[in-house]
Amino acid sequence: MTTYLNKLWGGARLAALEQLTYRFNLFSDVAIQPLIVAAVELTLWLAFFQSTGRSELAGFSQDHYLAYAIWAAFVARISANWMYEWNMIDSVETGAVNAVLVRPISFYSFWLGQFLGYKLLTSSFSLAVPLLVCWAMKLPVQIERLPLALLLVVFYLIFVHTIAVIMASMAFFFNRVHHVTVAKNITLWMLGGEFFPLDILPENLREFMIALPFSSAVFRPVGYLTGRLTTEQLGEGFVSIAIGQVILGSLAFVLWRAGRRRYSGTGA
Amino acid sequence: MSDLETNSHHRAKSGVRPIDKSRLSIQAMGLGRDFVTYKKPEGLLNSIKGLWNRKYETKVALQPTHLELEQGQIIGLVGSNGAGKTTLLKLLSGLIHPTHGDARVLGHQPWKREAAFLRRISILLGQKNQLWWDLPPADSYDLLARIYELDRTQARKRVQELAEMLGCRDQLLTQLRRLSLGERMKMELIGALLHEPEVMFLDEPTIGLDIVAQNSIREFLATYVRDRRPTVILTSHYMDDISLLADRLLLISKGRIVYDGQVDDFMSRAETRQTLSLKILQPLSEDLQLTADHRIAAGSRSLSIEIPSQQIGPALQKLLAVSPIQDIKIEEVEFEDIIRDFLEGRHDHLSQ
Amino acid sequence: MSNPATDTLTHRWSTRVVHEVRDLAKHFALVGAFARVSLMSELEYRFNFAVRIFTDVIWYMAQLSVFEVLFRHTDSLSGWTLETMRVFMGVLFLTDSIYMMLFSENLDRLSDRIRRGDLDLLLVKPVSSQWMLSFQKISVAYFGNFIISAVWLGWSLMQVPGFDWWRLLWLLICVPCGVIVVYAIRFSTASTALYFTKADAINYIWYQLYRLGTRPDTVYPKFLRYAVLSVLPIAFLASVPAQVILNRTGSEMVLWGIALAAMMLAVSSFIWKTGLKRYASASS
Repeated sequence: MTTYLNKLWGGARLAALEQLTYRFNLFSDVAIQPLIVAAVELTLWLAFFQSTGRSELAGFSQDHYLAYAIWAAFVARISANWMYEWNMIDSVETGAVNAVLVRPISFYSFWLGQFLGYKLLTSSFSLAVPLLVCWAMKLPVQIERLPLALLLVVFYLIFVHTIAVIMASMAFFFNRVHHVTVAKNITLWMLGGEFFPLDILPENLREFMIALPFSSAVFRPVGYLTGRLTTEQLGEGFVSIAIGQVILGSLAFVLWRAGRRRYSGTGA
Repeated sequence: MSDLETNSHHRAKSGVRPIDKSRLSIQAMGLGRDFVTYKKPEGLLNSIKGLWNRKYETKVALQPTHLELEQGQIIGLVGSNGAGKTTLLKLLSGLIHPTHGDARVLGHQPWKREAAFLRRISILLGQKNQLWWDLPPADSYDLLARIYELDRTQARKRVQELAEMLGCRDQLLTQLRRLSLGERMKMELIGALLHEPEVMFLDEPTIGLDIVAQNSIREFLATYVRDRRPTVILTSHYMDDISLLADRLLLISKGRIVYDGQVDDFMSRAETRQTLSLKILQPLSEDLQLTADHRIAAGSRSLSIEIPSQQIGPALQKLLAVSPIQDIKIEEVEFEDIIRDFLEGRHDHLSQ
Repeated sequence: MSNPATDTLTHRWSTRVVHEVRDLAKHFALVGAFARVSLMSELEYRFNFAVRIFTDVIWYMAQLSVFEVLFRHTDSLSGWTLETMRVFMGVLFLTDSIYMMLFSENLDRLSDRIRRGDLDLLLVKPVSSQWMLSFQKISVAYFGNFIISAVWLGWSLMQVPGFDWWRLLWLLICVPCGVIVVYAIRFSTASTALYFTKADAINYIWYQLYRLGTRPDTVYPKFLRYAVLSVLPIAFLASVPAQVILNRTGSEMVLWGIALAAMMLAVSSFIWKTGLKRYASASS
């Protein structure tokens, strides 16, 4: 166990070091980009409340939606694994995966360590931004709920990493898996709740979307943080992810093994 | 034929000496691998047809192969591109699964990828980076030490030692991407040797490097291998790599091992030839019989011929007697060509 | 009476015109050749067609979902009703599909190609380098998107009471202008790779700018609204064309669009040519 954690930590450390190499990139990645995203979203909510003349939507004020939009932009950035998934698929397609296959570590853990390390580093910087903005604009946020909300995000990260391994396994079988991942990622993006809190959806759709593990990407943690959800509802997120992890984890295991059988050692 | 006689003679005398089964470190039993590829005839119409009707064909990358290697043996694997060298290497290191046959490396079936097995082997793929591009090598080694469950202080010491031997200690803290190709390969080597593998697969360790870097890596490997005696399978395009490092040579062609013998023997039997290009000052006044096979016509001022090394001297003497030489260039014939000639000449007898 | 001087002048001019027309014809023939090769390579991957369309339908749904949900809680948003907002989306998808078909892949790879030094081979060819780089790969698969967006647009217009279908003809002017504007902005941002070695941030700025174009300009605060209608005319991607066919803005907006398209094109060409000069002097 300790040796396993040690391996993960090694990867995490390396990914963090790698990020720190390019300061400008890091800064733009963790602060500027999500801020612009948040700003574009804010205009929409402001327009909504101004042109309709309403003071609330689904029981929450304009400020609640602004707080949601800002946190959603940053948390969505943290929950996304597009880049790592891309690199993982790429490594299978180009044969760079060979460097992992000949070492006593699994593909899953090799990338998981780095992925979590990257997220740990970037989010520890980026979370300061929404905190500051919400404080400066006096937006309603329950800061004491942040640790638990972030724990759910970490759980979610392990879950999407499993999905990334499934996609990478498919690269053993098909060309251009990248194209499929785009469709998948947009779907997850929609299901996550970055655009709007999922609880303003029509009733039947709402329950379904929230029950899925994907709502833990943005809606559950950010909803919890901005007071839309109870601690119990956040807890349901952990359960939902656990179920998803069991199902997709087994799928990943089977697909990876089958893919390895087929692998012809591209490149190299 | 006399050729056949020399062959059987050679096999009996200096071929592979009997293998000590108890010291086997690599064993391949009918190991082979096929690939399936999709063939598309040229043109737009065929592309459209290909939407629903595809022709697949099976390509044999490695025919069922038998191979036994003793501990500490160093084997040079030689063959032209696509002959199956890399496939064999990948099968034995567990990167790919075979379509038939079985193999044991250090008692393990490689493609099961058991940690106990992977900790004892190492593979180096020339032209491929296994270290982190944007980080100094020292950081990458730290991760490797954790992956191989090495003591980190020990590992750091070992990195220093190896870097000392390779003469690249000063670059350990430089970003990998800022290093030269040769320095990078040295760093890759350190990464591959960090956990003191008992079996090493070296795929083209010197490819694309300049002569100086080639020599220093070659000499390092020779020293290392002499001191630690790992089992090594080495592929290379450079005869110098093979002749300096390996004691046994396997020649692969079209997915089959067509020659298995001592390196020295191969060297002496594979004719070394040179390409001789030169210009002379005055056109020849009459035809000149330069060697038994080459004749220069009267009036020509330049030539470019391939001749056995030992004929160069006499040929030049003959030429100088007629005209002063203006410009001359002698190059070694490509390794690939030597193999091809060797195969064309002898392969029929050997494969029987 | 013919003046020999004017004669040669006319002659010179006519040969010049013939030459220019030939050159233009050559450039268009090139686009045809690119399309053919692109189609062939796309057919190699048979799932591509299906996957592309599937991906984009999901993308469209994601875009639509925001407004579909918001309009469940209101009847109008900054002057748009659910029906007209759907028209806006239809125009957006249509313009976007054309842009995607012709340019997206070429321009997305442009920065990378510049940085890897692929340009050298291209610059020695007797064709406009901007043209070559812009049209090299035609993503034929996006034709499916084009059809889908056209169908969506048609359906959404049927929901608009009393829509005058002749107004659709305006699209023949507005959509090309929109595509040109988007193209010019994207090409300019991508070609900054000629000036800076690391242009990742600039590509990101491009994407955010593009996102501003995926919403009607009326939802934006005043200063932003002026910006997307003038210096960064991304509103011409969909917002302006949609308002034109819905008869909510005058024809002066169309004229302004044409002028902007021409200007943006000139700017992109200027940035490219100046950058090339720098690039050439730096790499030798």
